[in-house]
Amino acid sequence: MILSAVIWLFQDLIQVLAMGFMLVPEFFLLMLVYGVVTGSLRPGRVSAWIWFGLYGGMMWDLRWASSPGVSGLINVIAVAVIYMVWNRTPLAGRGSLLFAMLAGAAHFLSGIAHYLAWAAPGGAAVRMFMIQQLLGVPALILLCVVYAFRKTGAHV
Amino acid sequence: MQGKLNPIFVNFMLAVFCGLMLIWFFHSSVQSTRSAADNINNLLYYPEFPARELRLLVQVADNWVMERRGLLERARVLELENIALRTALQRAGSPRPVPQMGYVGANVTLRYPNAWWKEVRIDSGSSGGVVAGAPAMSDGFMVGRVSRVGENYAWVELVTSSTFLLAAVVTDTWDLGVINGDDNGNIWLMYMPPDKEFTKGMLVSTALVGDYLPPGIPVGMVWGPGEIRDGLMPLRVASGARLTQLYSVQILLSGAPGSQGGGL
Repeated sequence: MILSAVIWLFQDLIQVLAMGFMLVPEFFLLMLVYGVVTGSLRPGRVSAWIWFGLYGGMMWDLRWASSPGVSGLINVIAVAVIYMVWNRTPLAGRGSLLFAMLAGAAHFLSGIAHYLAWAAPGGAAVRMFMIQQLLGVPALILLCVVYAFRKTGAHV
Repeated sequence: MQGKLNPIFVNFMLAVFCGLMLIWFFHSSVQSTRSAADNINNLLYYPEFPARELRLLVQVADNWVMERRGLLERARVLELENIALRTALQRAGSPRPVPQMGYVGANVTLRYPNAWWKEVRIDSGSSGGVVAGAPAMSDGFMVGRVSRVGENYAWVELVTSSTFLLAAVVTDTWDLGVINGDDNGNIWLMYMPPDKEFTKGMLVSTALVGDYLPPGIPVGMVWGPGEIRDGLMPLRVASGARLTQLYSVQILLSGAPGSQGGGL
């Protein structure tokens, strides 16, 4: 969670740099997904990630958006859905591909939800959304590689 | 469930409830949202400092090339005007007025998407000499007015805001009107006589309205007439500043002691 908090700050700093040009990818959300799937699925731990997602989202909204709570709600739902899918998948199926699909879907749907929450969607908003999603791909690939290495290391 | 609730499900439902309550609370209380946002911004002021400075450096480098030509031309015109005014003053035998204005540069740190044309938050506040009511400038044109001031931050109401009202004149004809925005990026000079002829490009500048707002500050240029209502015509005004890409502003300070010069 400390790493996720650092990633939140990293996302914030990148947004400061890119303000007016683009929306930064949801690095924090990707780290939430990574955090949930890389540890044990004990109720206490998953619940902590749920609340951490809500808190991080609320802080993000207060810093960058005008409707605090929306990002927090998106994060909470993402964490819960990913836990549910991950928990119901047999151990043999919990691989990098599934992780990539879940993280990618979370990132894409979060972007869509934020886009729809905007008061005045238009051409500029679509462009910013596309750039955000495209820039999220390298981050997603990097996270998948880290996950694959971690998983390989765990089995050695 | 076997008669026992899953703790993850309970926590999820509680978190969703809290999220909905947050949305409801902040949606119903704009003041609370602003206050909380200001607190978060103050908390992140120092961690974000390097990123803000780096962004400013990149923007300055980018804007420098684009703005240099316009500024040089403008400086040349102003220099000629200055020489003419000095000559006129010397002829009249009047004492030369001592400049009493100054400005502080500030970066735009927040611009809400759904209030894009209403207000921006800047990283300079009362500690930098910023006062409520002071005009905010960009590219030599007024882009807004300071509406609220904190110690290290201030909110600037933009000229495109529908709540922005400012007495202004068309400098070529000296017709007085009121500058007003429409929250969609347009600026209007209201209450102009429809029988007068206003040509595109005429300069619109501030009229004498208050201690912090001297007359003669350029607001924009006449773009064209609007729809006549009740015998009065609004004029559409094009801002001379790039309002869509507002990264930094200069806050014009009055001649009060302690005003700081410099800036960007």
